[in-house]
Amino acid sequence: MLATLAASDWDRAKASLLLQRAGFGGTPDEVDALAALSPAEAAESLLGPSRLVAPEPPAFLSEPDLKETLQSERSKLAALSEKARAEAKKEFAQFAKTNQRRHLTELRGWWLKSMADPVRAAREKITLFLHGHFATSYEKVRSPYLLYQQNCLFREKGYGLWSDLVLGVAQDPAMLIYLDGTLSRAEAPNENFARELFELFTLGEGNYTEQDIQESARAFTGWTTGTGSNNKGGLQFGSRPTFKSVAKWHDTGSKTIFRSTGIFDGADVVRLALAQDAAPRWIAQKLWRFYAGWSAPEPLLQELVKEWQSLKGQIRPFLMAMWTNPNFYDPVRAADRVKSPTEWLVGLCRQIGRPLPAPALSTYILSQLGQILFEPPNVKGWDGGIAWINTASITRRYEYGSWLVEGTQGLQKLGSLNMVRVAAESGAMTVAPPEISPEGMVVTHSAKDMDPAEKQAATEKMRETIALSPAPVASIATSEQRQNPEKLLTAMATRFLAGETVSADLRTRFQQAAGEKIPFTDSAIRKMILAMVQSPLYQVT
Amino acid sequence: MSDHDLKTRREFLRTGLLGGSLSWTLPAFLSRTMDSLHAQADGSLIQGVTGRDGNILVVLQLAGGNDGLNTVIPLGNDEYRKARPTLGMADSVALQLDPKTGLHPALSGLASAFHEGNLAIVQGVGYPNPNRSHFRSTEIWATAVDSDKSSTTGWIGRYFDNACSGCDASVGVAMASQMPQAMNAATPTGVLYQGGGGGGNKKKTKKKSATSDPAMMTMEDDEDAGEAGGSIGMLSGPGSLGKLSALDFLERTEMDAKVSQQEIAQASAKAKNSVPYPGTRLGQNFAMVSRLIAGGMPTRIYYLSQGGFDTHTQQAPAHERLLKEMGDAVAAFLADLKAHGNLGRVSLMTFSEFGRRVKENASGGTDHGAAAPLFLAGGGVKAGLLGQMPSLAPKDLFDGDVKYNTDFRSVYATILEKHLGVKSEPILKKDFPTINVYG
Repeated sequence: MLATLAASDWDRAKASLLLQRAGFGGTPDEVDALAALSPAEAAESLLGPSRLVAPEPPAFLSEPDLKETLQSERSKLAALSEKARAEAKKEFAQFAKTNQRRHLTELRGWWLKSMADPVRAAREKITLFLHGHFATSYEKVRSPYLLYQQNCLFREKGYGLWSDLVLGVAQDPAMLIYLDGTLSRAEAPNENFARELFELFTLGEGNYTEQDIQESARAFTGWTTGTGSNNKGGLQFGSRPTFKSVAKWHDTGSKTIFRSTGIFDGADVVRLALAQDAAPRWIAQKLWRFYAGWSAPEPLLQELVKEWQSLKGQIRPFLMAMWTNPNFYDPVRAADRVKSPTEWLVGLCRQIGRPLPAPALSTYILSQLGQILFEPPNVKGWDGGIAWINTASITRRYEYGSWLVEGTQGLQKLGSLNMVRVAAESGAMTVAPPEISPEGMVVTHSAKDMDPAEKQAATEKMRETIALSPAPVASIATSEQRQNPEKLLTAMATRFLAGETVSADLRTRFQQAAGEKIPFTDSAIRKMILAMVQSPLYQVT
Repeated sequence: MSDHDLKTRREFLRTGLLGGSLSWTLPAFLSRTMDSLHAQADGSLIQGVTGRDGNILVVLQLAGGNDGLNTVIPLGNDEYRKARPTLGMADSVALQLDPKTGLHPALSGLASAFHEGNLAIVQGVGYPNPNRSHFRSTEIWATAVDSDKSSTTGWIGRYFDNACSGCDASVGVAMASQMPQAMNAATPTGVLYQGGGGGGNKKKTKKKSATSDPAMMTMEDDEDAGEAGGSIGMLSGPGSLGKLSALDFLERTEMDAKVSQQEIAQASAKAKNSVPYPGTRLGQNFAMVSRLIAGGMPTRIYYLSQGGFDTHTQQAPAHERLLKEMGDAVAAFLADLKAHGNLGRVSLMTFSEFGRRVKENASGGTDHGAAAPLFLAGGGVKAGLLGQMPSLAPKDLFDGDVKYNTDFRSVYATILEKHLGVKSEPILKKDFPTINVYG
């Protein structure tokens, strides 16, 4: 059994740390509520029910199928000249692409909103971990629908058995497209998925041979998506394929994988891989590193592995065990976990009590900070930790911190955004599908066809829509604190820095921000908040 | 203002909010940076350790595993044709460099550089016991240690540690979203520059709209990448803390950001590009590097990367697009350097974590391979083909992959010794023979 924290060691600082790491942080009131419980009760209350109460699906799912929308116009293609046909096809593709982008933006906003819901935060956090672990990108999959399905898989199985989850991922249409499973045939197995399954998802480099990969690739042949794939393994616009096992594409021969020989299929490969000694070590370490922020050294890792094994790979109780383990709160490592951009954005909005920015603006902020949800940089996901921090990203964290705290109105802060694109991706510009006129001309209705004045007005409106108002600060600083700088600093350090000791440097910045006027005005309070947010300490949790 | 307020404020100012001192206290590791900044202000440290007048290396990483055999193509080679029945490039379309060797037709910019005497091609570059994992092989190239060893520092990072101690962080500039693993140093050094600021940094420049509002520039989606090679975009490795805590690292990075931002803004404002660059992200990044060089940045190493080379499926169109993007950007960069009189002191090296399997697969693509050619360009290099085009005869392959004949660390050693003028052994931890590529 992994050691558990005694109730007497449980305090406000630990509760604050847990709130940040298990979910996306919160307000001092939420910390107080957690601190009043026992460590196990606190972890349990954050985890929420074992059974998922699924969030309402994003609205785009109930939009009419894109293929149907375009059906009547597409049927006119045959009658066109070759040149007009090519032109029309291009316009259809462009229309479909703009639509997909809009859906993707909506999907991101939908997920972020769920993360910002305190009741869902922990479930969304493991979903975020799994998205990074089983990284799959829109850049190749090209289907917001399939990425939504995969996200649901992570959310639903994220508290369950690891083996169920891995098998689910191996049969997940987005993953099958991303790692070329859809193209793998008995006569030409594609090694991409098998390699990453071992290297990144379950075992780690050095724990398998090239032969294990080649033979496993054979075992996975035949696992594919139903209709809707084009010959490049990509997806036709608007299609919604599901997992399918095609017998005639499957290699039914004998395979030798991890020194076992048999007529194996994909499920056997998952089973054989997870039975390797390296398997529990790999996932236990990854979960620990994600939540604690540092790699478990050998004795601790062995304990984690034992715990994982005694729990038979059930994720929810393992999270519980990590979160109630004393090492999780090691004071020496307390400032070693760097917030990911998503944690930073959602957490800051929660702490200052403001709603999330519009989905298109959140997407922009996260992309500039290095974490584009549903578009991880590669199959390894985000490296995380200090890799989030570099001279460019830290400057941007500070800049966007000022957007969120002081607002963007009256400032040229949003000047670098492509408003037309933002507007299109937000659905603010209604764009009708292209039409083919009786004369065989292609008539488009995209934003580029709008007259300049109309376009200008639409983008101005968009600029107003996504502009951020200054953060509400009434509840952050009481009138008593506004009279008393010391009390105010303590209150703010509690809210923003998990009660960490404030360095002399930060104290100076805070003081400069405060200005001379007492009681402090809302504007001075915002400057003080910003001094906290624009500090190295705020970037860790 | 009441007396009470005044008193509070006075106390506030005198003692600091929680009794701390009022001075800006810099962590110990920063004082060295500050010292070196002061020294630079005197001008005493500028010569020698910076790239202002000295030689400069530009590294271009082709992430995902570039297909070397379809980049530098063996002409009149039956084994090549047998292994690549559909993907093989016909002799007639290749840009011939010598009777046995040609370049992919998309690389016309590089072919010109070759004929003008500014491009060397080192063939068969790799390392013993090749690893076919993107991440591990990238790490091997970045850390420059044997494939069964590991290191927390990268080869460029160790160059900084050895040859540039006391330099400010901008001695290394990476045009990337994340610090490349090769730049991991014991003392974190190197800054990032991310061009543009527009969503995704992929602004197309060829399309102009009626109004001048930059927000109105383009509506069209500019992400045509993806499809083939999509699972490997950008490759980098986990960062290295050296001996710092995460918080120390954050504080240091904050300081580096403040200093380097100013430097970059000043340098890039000073110089203009003298040739047009492609509107691609890579092209624009090269344009920026050229301006920074001409503007007198103290940078010695620039690092750029291009992703998408993991062409398991439908390779031909994707690879052509990638090579064209690369070749056109590099050609513009070389021309620009030449116009500014900087070509002689700049070397550009490309690399990819591995080449690809000799035999094409059934999905119209190629799987992970081993050795491949790399490009070295610049005014100082001796143009030509170096090393040997490896044999493609099945008996000469290792597990279906090209065998290396030049260790990549020999290329590093050559650049370090002949171009950057430092001893390579302390950096590469071993003596590697140099190759004859600098005049």
